[in-house]
Amino acid sequence: MSSISFFRPANLSEACELLAKPNHLAVAGGTDLIVKLRNGLFPNAAALVDISALPFKSIRKEGDRLIIGSGCTMSSVIASPEVNEYFPVLVKAASTVGATQIRNAATLGGNVANASPAGDTIPALFALEAEVLIVGQTGKRKVAIDEFFTGPGRSVLKAGELIEGFALPLRKTSGAFLKLGERRAHAISKINLALNVFNDGQKRYRIAIGSAAPTVLRCKSAEELLEKAGEIDAATLEKAAEFACETAKPISDVRSSKSYRKQMAGVLLKRALKAVI
Amino acid sequence: MENLVKVTFSLNGRQVEAEVLPTMTVLEMIRRNFRLTAAKEGCGKGECGACTVLLNGEPVNSCLKLAASLTVSDQIVTVEGLEKDATMQAIQHAFVSEGAVQCGFCIPGMTMTSYKLLQSNPDPDEHQIKQALSGNICRCTGYRKIEAAVKKASETRRNK
Ligand SMILES: Cc1cc2nc3c(=O)[nH]c(=O)nc-3n(C[C@H](O)[C@H](O)[C@H](O)COP(=O)(O)OP(=O)(O)OC[C@H]3O[C@@H](n4cnc5c(N)ncnc54)[C@H](O)[C@@H]3O)c2cc1C
Ligand code: FES
Ligand code: FES
Repeated sequence: MSSISFFRPANLSEACELLAKPNHLAVAGGTDLIVKLRNGLFPNAAALVDISALPFKSIRKEGDRLIIGSGCTMSSVIASPEVNEYFPVLVKAASTVGATQIRNAATLGGNVANASPAGDTIPALFALEAEVLIVGQTGKRKVAIDEFFTGPGRSVLKAGELIEGFALPLRKTSGAFLKLGERRAHAISKINLALNVFNDGQKRYRIAIGSAAPTVLRCKSAEELLEKAGEIDAATLEKAAEFACETAKPISDVRSSKSYRKQMAGVLLKRALKAVI
Repeated sequence: MENLVKVTFSLNGRQVEAEVLPTMTVLEMIRRNFRLTAAKEGCGKGECGACTVLLNGEPVNSCLKLAASLTVSDQIVTVEGLEKDATMQAIQHAFVSEGAVQCGFCIPGMTMTSYKLLQSNPDPDEHQIKQALSGNICRCTGYRKIEAAVKKASETRRNK
């Protein structure tokens, strides 16, 4: 391990150039990466590239979007007046990540780039229809969050590319984020669910489920049902829950079983809807 | 080939320098290079909180923070740096008088996290104490006495 180099680039072009080289690993908060490095997951690591000097830490309005920098920690997302005002579902999701010590270091960009199906802010970003802002050696590009992930731990990010931030359509929303873990605090999700409700002339529902498939899933069947239903009665609630269970395509692993996860998708959706309406 | 990185930062209020390996954590550095041994390695994975220090006033797991990433403006505070701090003293006394310490391994982390809690919330209720300490694991005490100690420390501070 002692032959690993360390870089702390001060600008984007330098950072992207370094990260284009083989086995150069970006480090933001380090809460995923250092654990993996410790566990021997990067036997060929050549360099650690600390990206915390890059201008990724602001939260700002830009036209009809709120841009949240990838380097914002969970704690700074939770403390942001804008995020609280517009995107309660993201505040709730970020609040469930680890414990205080983790939230003070863990970044939004790291949570997304790590691409764990259990990453808690990911369903919230799906439900908020976020765009991932990517910067690379040849320029910038945007990818819709539901096209960003290609599998567990995998995404469309190429060598030499970084997530600069996330662009969220600026509109008032209400929302809920629920997760089931081994205990109430400081646990990785067995399954999680984000619900975002907004009104653009009509009441809209956006539902995303995590840890229930190789990547986070939107549950469009339930969204459509709820939008058509208008008033949500007990029967609609049951039907929506059924759709959530059908959408979930979970596996059994160390954290939970397939059948439990599938059933809980429906239970979480019902709880989330009751909390919001 | 060893790629040492030179870092300058503030440690317990003093500007210091160190030469560290790229993969060295803040925890390893403060224990080995500076012989400050209050912060402990319980898990090395962010789970237990025994390594909690304040980085720029906020509690973080020093086992997950790269020492090489520290900069001149970064301030690290460990229990040793709060020896004369009235809030930390109130916390330490309360932990002792409530019997909240057994083997003691978790205590530097517990007191650091409690310190930050009382700084930002001088009168926390039981739920807030549990929430704040959820990243600190204790294998001995069963937590009740730790919660009582934090409550007591908050009373001591408010009544003086
Ligand atoms: C004890 C513990 C508890 C945890 N609990 C939770 C939890 O409850 N919920 C949850 O979702 N997660 C949890 N995590 C996982 C982790 O904390 C989060 O995923 C965190 O958001 C990662 O962010 P980071 O800044 O620490 O990422 P890092 O570890 O620095 O990086 C993670 C990965 O993303 C890449 N990366 C980072 N930033 C960028 C960027 N801007 N552009 C491109 N690539 C980038 C890195 O190269 C690396 O591959 C936990 C971790 C620990 C250790
Ligand atoms: S040693 Fe850092 S959290 Fe356990
Ligand atoms: S006193 Fe032994 S771990 Fe807490």
